[in-house]
Amino acid sequence: MKYTVPIGPIHPALKEPILISCSVEGEKIIDVDVTASQNHRGIEWIGMNRNNPIQSLYVSERICGICNLCHPACLVMAVEEVADIDVPERAEYIRVIQGELERIHSHLLWAGVAAHELGFDTLLHYTWMVREKVMDLLEIVNGNRVTKAIMTYGGVRRDITTENIPKIREMITYYNHLFNKMATLFLEDKTIKMRTREIGILPKKEALELATTGPTTRASGVQKDVRQDTPYFAYPDLHIKALTPDMHTGKTVGDTYDRIVVRLLEVKQSVDIIEKSLDELPPGDILSEPKIPKILKKIKNSEGEAIARHEAPRGEDIHYVKLKEGNEHLYTWKVRAPTYSNIMAWKTMLLDHQIADIPIVAASIDPCMSCTNRVVLLDQGKEKVLTQTELRALSRKKTRGLS
Amino acid sequence: MNLKEVTELLKEKGESHRIQSKMAGVKNKMERKSLWIDVKRDKLEEIVQTLVDNSTEFPHFCVASTSDMGETVEVIYHFTINYGKFLEEIQINFKVTIPKKDLWIPTLTKIIPGTLFSERELHEMMGIEIKGLKDTRHLFLTSDFPKGVYPWRRDETGPKDLNKLYEGWKQ
Repeated sequence: MKYTVPIGPIHPALKEPILISCSVEGEKIIDVDVTASQNHRGIEWIGMNRNNPIQSLYVSERICGICNLCHPACLVMAVEEVADIDVPERAEYIRVIQGELERIHSHLLWAGVAAHELGFDTLLHYTWMVREKVMDLLEIVNGNRVTKAIMTYGGVRRDITTENIPKIREMITYYNHLFNKMATLFLEDKTIKMRTREIGILPKKEALELATTGPTTRASGVQKDVRQDTPYFAYPDLHIKALTPDMHTGKTVGDTYDRIVVRLLEVKQSVDIIEKSLDELPPGDILSEPKIPKILKKIKNSEGEAIARHEAPRGEDIHYVKLKEGNEHLYTWKVRAPTYSNIMAWKTMLLDHQIADIPIVAASIDPCMSCTNRVVLLDQGKEKVLTQTELRALSRKKTRGLS
Repeated sequence: MNLKEVTELLKEKGESHRIQSKMAGVKNKMERKSLWIDVKRDKLEEIVQTLVDNSTEFPHFCVASTSDMGETVEVIYHFTINYGKFLEEIQINFKVTIPKKDLWIPTLTKIIPGTLFSERELHEMMGIEIKGLKDTRHLFLTSDFPKGVYPWRRDETGPKDLNKLYEGWKQ
């Protein structure tokens, strides 16, 4: 008998809340459908009809709470290309440091969530305790843990002061010491291996055809990283290499385990990038034009179009901006967050797996499953509602059954 | 294929083309380049197929964007090829201009399955008919969103007051 298990629809952490409807026969998933139309905030419309480009910058920061730097980063890059605004050298490096700090906290947050979905709560608490180090540092450097308001057209809004540099270096030492321990906890654990190896496989061919991005595509063996392919900010100086799981484990399977490997390696990579950027941080201004009305006038008098791509923690983020001379707003503003591309891969990953695998496989692309509120089981017209807690309990039962 | 070869390969199938660039990097200065090609609607599938056939890895489809230009609507398909090597990636954008009176575009899902979400978005946000696309459900807008209102339009079919579009909105 075929049942439909809808998962969602509320995922406030995403740009769009998601409903995943899984058709199941017994425990086996036979079809997956994704419905995104739950809550569209119309942010692009606001940028195209109501706000001026400076206001849009701060709205763009609120597209996503976790990657709150990647959207302003894309927007400033696109507008700077059209309006021909220069960025001081120091600001380019600060942008890199901020982007990498964001990647560290996002990946650690995800690793904790993944452990939680598997029922390994000790590891969740440990990972999030480790994550506090970078969150505290973000607060010290930016004055805010989440929406940092650091990006602006022509530079950054806050400098990294000389007294804060030792604190960043201390964080680098902290994470360098911890890396081997974290790698052992996540990658050597027998239960995690059993729950994630060969689960949610995304073959390389599908990863390419479904246009997946970021760690999801790299875990399938595609060497794709915007920081390496089309470097921006100060990335051309830093020679980034896209990380694939075979660099650590010697083989690429494209499963959930490989996605954990890639993210952990990227935390290490980000720490190294920050260290290198601090060594090379040039002196000088952080803004090419501090007067906002002047910047606004320049943008208003510009005409043209540009795309800007940034490697956000979850993958490639792309903004398309079209400016028209005399227009107070962005004429066209198209935002494509990485999850938009990655959710199309859920079907391939979930087919033929069990209901209890849904949480970890869906979470493996990092869509922030923590906010899934409930699941409804439909049984010949009779509804049985499974709460998120019950679904998670099912996932944990499977973990316990293994060990 | 380098940028020059790609331009040679694609420019005959397109109308006109331009290369846009912006400097990046501090010590190691480089140019971020993107290729923009205007394509006629009936040549779109052909040019995308040419791109798929000639690139070493499957081209990465980023997204499709669209602008209401008054009498016409612009649709731009953003692709990248040659990823995987430092500085060798090429960003390619195919721009198709279609008249509002005859607003349709062929589907690319047969060539690149990953275009599905973008095409569903073009359909609901701009009201473009995607010929050959079976799944035309709303992607981001709710199923009870008023018919004949397209959020990205700048004419009379665009939303005047977003809050009032839904039933049960409060003053």
